[in-house]
Amino acid sequence: MAEKRHTSTHYEKELRDIKEGLIYLGALAEKAISLATEALVDRNAELARKVICDDNVIDQLDVEIEEKCIRILALRQPTARDLRYITTAIKINGHLERIGDMAANIAEKAILLSEEPPMKPYIDIPRMAEIARSMIKESLDALVNEDADLARKVRMEDETIDNLNEQVFRELLTFMLEDPKKIHRALIIMQISKSLERISDHAVGIADMVMYMVTGKIVRHEPICQA
Amino acid sequence: MKNRLLYRILAGYVALILFTAMVMGLMYARQIKTELIDGVKNDLIAQARITALLRIGDIERKLSHLANISRSRVTLIDASGRVKADSEKDLAQMDSHLNRSEIQEARIKGQGDAIRYSRTLGVDMLYIAFPITEGSEVTGYIRFARPLFEVKKSIDQQYSYIYKCLLIAIIPSFIIAFLLARKLISPIEKVISYTHKVCSGEASGSLLIESNNDVGQLEKDINRMVQEQQERVRAAYEEKAKLEAAFASMTEGVLVINNQNRIEFLNRSLKDILGNEGITDILYKTPLEAFRNVELQDALDLFRDSGGPVLREISLGQETPIILDVTISAVHGLPEEEQKKMMVFHDVTRLKKLEKMREDFVANVTHEIKTPLTAIIGFIETLEEGAIKEEVTAKKFLHIISENAHRLGRLVDDLLILSSIELGEMKLRFENVSIANVIDSVLPMFETKAAEKSLTVEKHISDELPLILADRDKMAQILVNILDNAVKFTPSGGKISISAVQDDSGFVVVKVTDTGMGIQKMEIPRLGERFYRADKTRSRELGGTGLGLSIVKHLMKAHNGSIDIESQVGKGSTFSLAFPINRLQKA
Repeated sequence: MAEKRHTSTHYEKELRDIKEGLIYLGALAEKAISLATEALVDRNAELARKVICDDNVIDQLDVEIEEKCIRILALRQPTARDLRYITTAIKINGHLERIGDMAANIAEKAILLSEEPPMKPYIDIPRMAEIARSMIKESLDALVNEDADLARKVRMEDETIDNLNEQVFRELLTFMLEDPKKIHRALIIMQISKSLERISDHAVGIADMVMYMVTGKIVRHEPICQA
Repeated sequence: MKNRLLYRILAGYVALILFTAMVMGLMYARQIKTELIDGVKNDLIAQARITALLRIGDIERKLSHLANISRSRVTLIDASGRVKADSEKDLAQMDSHLNRSEIQEARIKGQGDAIRYSRTLGVDMLYIAFPITEGSEVTGYIRFARPLFEVKKSIDQQYSYIYKCLLIAIIPSFIIAFLLARKLISPIEKVISYTHKVCSGEASGSLLIESNNDVGQLEKDINRMVQEQQERVRAAYEEKAKLEAAFASMTEGVLVINNQNRIEFLNRSLKDILGNEGITDILYKTPLEAFRNVELQDALDLFRDSGGPVLREISLGQETPIILDVTISAVHGLPEEEQKKMMVFHDVTRLKKLEKMREDFVANVTHEIKTPLTAIIGFIETLEEGAIKEEVTAKKFLHIISENAHRLGRLVDDLLILSSIELGEMKLRFENVSIANVIDSVLPMFETKAAEKSLTVEKHISDELPLILADRDKMAQILVNILDNAVKFTPSGGKISISAVQDDSGFVVVKVTDTGMGIQKMEIPRLGERFYRADKTRSRELGGTGLGLSIVKHLMKAHNGSIDIESQVGKGSTFSLAFPINRLQKA
């Protein structure tokens, strides 16, 4: 009896470890986005290089968490809720790692832009970054609190980012039409905007997985309705 | 639960009553049976003894007569046990009776009796036998037998009578038993309901002690126990309240993490600090779940690995992050398995900001001085190397040198003004000043510059503005600085308007509105900082020192006034200066 209890608390701890790992990974990803945006706005190439370098930590943690999940699948053969939890964790882990990569991409672009003359102050990009970051935070909040409503809210926020992305695109298009010298920079900024849009998609992916974990329903390809 | 006790006691009583009744009934019935059988037996003995006095031959002859008189079955048996005559049965079917117990007894003791079940009649029979003697010789035996019909009948009657009596007695006994049990239970029930209340925490007062017996003693003990317990709880609460008051009145945030790595306690200061950052409801979460902060988690990991106290600086929040010094230490004096961690948060945002401002200031001053200085030194060296001989070039260079030297001069002047204000050395000469006058004296200074950029300058000043108490020169400087900025940052063809009105709260408000490039919202709070430039490259190109607004801010403060900036990027900015009206003069 004592032995059994010991095993189960051990198992509990393993599951908790994975959750903590995901949250830590999420915090790292959030930080990467904030710093990459800061590097972009302040034209701080050094900070951008730090963000790119820090992505290694994210990658490493990604591998660690995945290994932990696979070990649990192999050794504990979880069923029902635990199985859902582990599959969710594996997918969320993947999303967060991709978010880290996107942040590193943005940082790379920030280095490129820091070498060019500034075009105009950034207004929409930092706003997009902030929304994307808060979406990650909220989707992980949903994970921590197992809150399907919050996850649903994250799904809806994606539209704001999409709109902003389009707005940025139109604005940059006018810059490019105005002055061919600006095309290079405008294209880079467009890629940044696209990266941020992708980040928000990943955040929605995380939210979808949280909804799956809580409700057991796969909502990934369902249209988002404004209720 | 209380019912079970009642039923148990009741069941005990009932069992006792029933047992007693049964034993009594049985014993009585037995007694009666014995007595009845004894009666019949004595009767038969008397008859048999009398008959045994007769001779065998006489008995044999008068057997049926004897049987009739005695209402019994009479059997005559000779000495060898053979039945010689029977009043009811055919002799042929009867075997030797010598072995019958009553005959044997009669042979040995002179009188025998037995009760046997007679198959022939299907009833218990009582047999009495006596030997018949002639002289000293036994010649035969006479046996009288009677069925115990009547005995049985009267026994049955007696039984039913006894049962009725018992039944009548048992019913009131039950009732009495029930009442007794109830009486015994009721104080216990009282104790139970009282202790129940104590458990759920709504106990007030104590138990009323009604009896002197064991239950009374129990009540007394419970009263004492509850009193002591309440005293202890009260003491604990007091201690807790003291601690909480101490924690609550601390300006530092305090957080306790239990051995499960969950947040167990946080004080009010921390709630306030975190509440402003939108972090709420963190109780019983892990620190990582609650804060989502990488630095904090790293600090916690470091603490776990090193065991010693850890001091770290973390920043929370996004738009305007707060910077916290966090000290993590173990809570001492707890058992191994209940190890707790305590985190103390110290808000150092303001300190950090001041520190940064000082650092920036030094860096900026050096930078601002160095730029013109480099130009001056560079051009002087060029001149020395021969450029002085080419008159045109030399003149151009000298012009640049003088421009830069002037810029240095302005910078030093501004710095002197600033430091004298900050050190409180600057004496303001307050007098009653008409704002309209000051504006009129300042505006011509910008006429040329405005004309160069073809800016429209509008002026709306209400008539009869009250006088304000101010230093005329400093006030002019404030307006010059503000207007200078407006002219500098408004693109060609723009508009600058200046207005002055009296507001309801006793201030004269001067507003300078331009259609310039505007300032980003997040930059506005930093505008008053020394050397802070919203647009770093542009502003320096335009020849600013980066101190203008800083001086304005300080001067406004010295005038007990305030400055308010509203701006929209790309549309323009409005600087509102509020000067207090001189009340003395008004009175």
